[in-house]
Amino acid sequence: MKKTIVAIAAAGYFGLSVLAVAGLWFLWYRTGPAPAQPIAFPHTVHAGQLRLPCTHCHAFAGKSRSAGAPPLETCMGCHKTIAVEREEIRKLTRHYEEKRPVRWVRVYALPDFVYFSHKRHVKAGVECAMCHGDVAGMKRIRRVNELVMGWCVSCHAVRGASRDCATCHK
Amino acid sequence: MKRRDFLWLLGVISGSTVMSACGSPNRSAKFTSFVLPPEEEAVPGEARFLPSTCTECPAGCGVQARIRDGRPVKLEGNPGHPVNDRGLCVRGQSALYRLYHPERVRGPMVRDGGKHRPIPWEEAFSRVAVSLKSSREKGRKNLFLSGRTTGSLSRLADAACKRLGIERLPEYEVYSHTAVKEANALLFGERDVPHYRIEKADFLLTVGADLIETHITPVAYARKISSARAGGAFLWYHVEPHMSLTGGNADRRFTVAPGRERLLLSFLLREVAARKAGKSRLPDELIAVFPRTTAEKVSAETGIPREAVKEIADRFLAAERPLLIAGGVGTEQPSGLETAAAAALIQHASGAIPERVDFAAGENYRNVGTLRDMEKLSARLGRGEAGVVFLFRTNPVFSLPPRLAFRENLKKAELTVGVGEFLDETVREADVVLPLSHSLESWGDVEPRSGVVSLLQPALPPLHDTRSDGDVLLGFLGYSSGKGPDGSYRDLLSAAWGRWLGEAGKARLLEKGYVEETLPKRTVSVDGKRAAKVLRAAGPPEELGKPVLVLAPSIRTFDGRSRNLSLLSEIPDPLTTITYGSWISVSGETAARAGFRDQDGATVASADWKAVMPVKVQPGLPDGVFAIHRDALSSPPVRTDRRTGGAVAYIEGVGIAKTGKRIGIPILSGSFSQQGRGLIPDPVHLSEERRHKRWTLYPEHDHKEYRWALAVDLERCNGCAACVAACHVENNVPAAGPADHLKGREMSWLRIEPFYGKGEVEFLPMLCQQCHYAPCESVCPVFAAYHNPEGLNVQVYNRCVGTRYCSNNCPYKVRRFNWWEHRWTKPADLMLNPDVQARGVGVMEKCTFCVQRIRAAKDKARDEGRKVRDGEFTTACAQSCPTGALTFGNLLDEGSAVSRLARSGRAYRVFESLGTEPSVYYLRGGKP
Repeated sequence: MKKTIVAIAAAGYFGLSVLAVAGLWFLWYRTGPAPAQPIAFPHTVHAGQLRLPCTHCHAFAGKSRSAGAPPLETCMGCHKTIAVEREEIRKLTRHYEEKRPVRWVRVYALPDFVYFSHKRHVKAGVECAMCHGDVAGMKRIRRVNELVMGWCVSCHAVRGASRDCATCHK
Repeated sequence: MKRRDFLWLLGVISGSTVMSACGSPNRSAKFTSFVLPPEEEAVPGEARFLPSTCTECPAGCGVQARIRDGRPVKLEGNPGHPVNDRGLCVRGQSALYRLYHPERVRGPMVRDGGKHRPIPWEEAFSRVAVSLKSSREKGRKNLFLSGRTTGSLSRLADAACKRLGIERLPEYEVYSHTAVKEANALLFGERDVPHYRIEKADFLLTVGADLIETHITPVAYARKISSARAGGAFLWYHVEPHMSLTGGNADRRFTVAPGRERLLLSFLLREVAARKAGKSRLPDELIAVFPRTTAEKVSAETGIPREAVKEIADRFLAAERPLLIAGGVGTEQPSGLETAAAAALIQHASGAIPERVDFAAGENYRNVGTLRDMEKLSARLGRGEAGVVFLFRTNPVFSLPPRLAFRENLKKAELTVGVGEFLDETVREADVVLPLSHSLESWGDVEPRSGVVSLLQPALPPLHDTRSDGDVLLGFLGYSSGKGPDGSYRDLLSAAWGRWLGEAGKARLLEKGYVEETLPKRTVSVDGKRAAKVLRAAGPPEELGKPVLVLAPSIRTFDGRSRNLSLLSEIPDPLTTITYGSWISVSGETAARAGFRDQDGATVASADWKAVMPVKVQPGLPDGVFAIHRDALSSPPVRTDRRTGGAVAYIEGVGIAKTGKRIGIPILSGSFSQQGRGLIPDPVHLSEERRHKRWTLYPEHDHKEYRWALAVDLERCNGCAACVAACHVENNVPAAGPADHLKGREMSWLRIEPFYGKGEVEFLPMLCQQCHYAPCESVCPVFAAYHNPEGLNVQVYNRCVGTRYCSNNCPYKVRRFNWWEHRWTKPADLMLNPDVQARGVGVMEKCTFCVQRIRAAKDKARDEGRKVRDGEFTTACAQSCPTGALTFGNLLDEGSAVSRLARSGRAYRVFESLGTEPSVYYLRGGKP
């Protein structure tokens, strides 16, 4: 009897820890890490407190397949005068003055064989948050969806979008 | 080893393996914020087009560079351009392979002992300046040799040479058209090649001129012939000593004994002169120079049948607007002057000048010199007269005959300055090497013919430490005066264009990429007495020593200048389907007599020259004539024509013997015969009846909006392979290489199959037929090959597991398997089209009907809330076709060009009886 209890407890303990690891892995896989960026840009401030629309900076989201990172000139439009004394803004200013592009760490990346157009999705009325989550609430950007085919297709099926392979597969 | 150590090691190894496999591949991907926003018209991720000019050959075709992410990924013909209007040839399509070539010279170099070592530009220029001065002081001549230059660059070179006391030598081109220029100078006082307006002719007779391969402006000629054919009654006869692609495309082709073209033209001239209209235009004393002859005599001496001689003359005389063009190998022979003079007189007498033979729009070959000029240069170099010798965009060491000893004599110059893109045979010999930017990295202009100015503008900043042609010349100027260059070539051009074309013209040049000026027509008059005297004094022409080896121009490499572009080796030669390597073409009779079969090794030798190469039996080639492509021989032993000073395009007294060894060269075509299967049927039939009833378990395909189809007009197709090159570049199709080709593993999605009949050749472009009932789809175990709602047989690359069942089941042999992971050596990887995935090893691929272009067109249409319009976009192959043989569009749209063609009585499909119902319609017979 005692033996069985010990066995169950041990199995439970190890089983739970395996489950916990699997759960953590799944969570990580689904959402990905939140990498540190070369300049700690807070979406919480810009998209959150200031309520800037996404396309204020990602200007090409509705015009091109790639949403685009804002050119530093856009940043400097405000930061020539705002918060210039902060370390991160000084970093930004240095980049701008030395004419050095900022190379952000990519959070959302699609494989080479996929054709994806931001424009088509924006024009079809898909909200940015549908795929990118609550960016305004993220201090560091984290991938919130796993970007696998099943995930794409599930939404295409619901919205009646094309499910022809050649629509997305290059 | 102890058990503990083993476990410890195992732990470390497996642990580090696991650790190294961790991490997201996305982590390394970057997302860049540039400093400044992109220019107004540029949207990241979208393509834009920039007009420029192709510089692969002297023709000067207008191009539009398709720019993605700041780099050109494809060139397309510039619509409306006065030279090529939309089409682009196989060499033009390969220009990107030059731009991104890994072996380009990456910075200036100077010879140090036996090797070149890099130095800064300033130092290179200073060295040249010092040498210029010192050789002037020593009384040595400074010389400037270049390939053909036109427009602002030519003027700048003139000015620079004048200022620096450099003698500018006549330009050097292998195809100098010397005899034609000499004849025109002698008769009309016009030392140039006129522009031939073929589109205005109803009968075209070409003698030797390889209009489709390299003659002056091949894309333009192909286009003109095609539009003349479509326009109405047009007939084209071609006379040549060998078998060329041009000959294969003429309505009728006649074989002439090499060097005897003049007899045929003398006969024709006398016939034309016997007419009233002709007689009035020709001075009697000039006609008397050309021997009186009969059709029988001409036939006996030229080998053209008597009826054919008569037919040529009759057709020419009966035509309302006849046009005769002599050139190429027809005039690069000892009687080239007579041949060209007779041709010019016939043009004059038949009223072709100035309507169809336009001297006002001359092709700008005036400054191009002759082989004799090069002989003189080599002799001067040999005598040690030369100080600094500039070798500017020219490769004489490769193309000059060894008897000139140009390479050896070059060493006697005080300093040689090689200016070029590659360390080719000539630049390699130079003391100072100055690397040129590619034309897609440079500002400039060209003037392909009088009245046409075409723009060169950078599509990307220079990849290496190179400078444009103009900036190099400005550098010579600046450093010799000790001040450094005075502004850039771009500033100079901007001012020059304003003066030359006016502000409006300049704006048009920058916007469209070209400016065309209509010039007043120029009539000519003949100074009969003088011309007759010169022709008489020239004496009787020499005969060619038989048997002859024709040095034929190559459509793939021009005069050999494009040899190192790998794509051009990957694409088969149209007549033989040989890809890599060189070969000698022999006639069927010769082969039968000597027991030659394809790929047999042969020793080819003349009195002072010998080579070993494989044999290819060439149908249509006459007995006693061998042919080889010009690029196959470095330093061919050509002789100089005594009278014109031009090169003779023949090697005489050639003997050929079997070596007994086989030399493997890839011949891609499995069969040059249709094997009676009616691939190109005669007459055409689009039969609805099938041999057996269709019985299928699959549901019928439903096409709602679009069903894409391609029409291929075989009457227009001339087999030039421009489409093949366009497809390679557009779709990231890799080069398989010679080893794979020898195993029959090619990668090109589009091939052109030559089929030889009785003396004629027909071309069948073969690509994925996008069958309605596709045999490939039903055998794919993983649903990688499937039918999409728009009628495409889609191949999903990342789903493909490489069973190759689809390829085995394809009756058209159009699927290609990646046996290797194909590498794109840096910086050639920049050329990859980001809209198309570069396929990995183990994946099947094939023509997609340029699905990425369909996608882009639909995207644009959707933005504007409409359907895709007919003609709004087209596939890469159709875009590049110089003759407009390919038409792409939506079959469901009854008004579209392709659906009209598909319903026309001229349409058929290959292997109709198989019931695959392809979406590629071939058109044959009737007027295109």
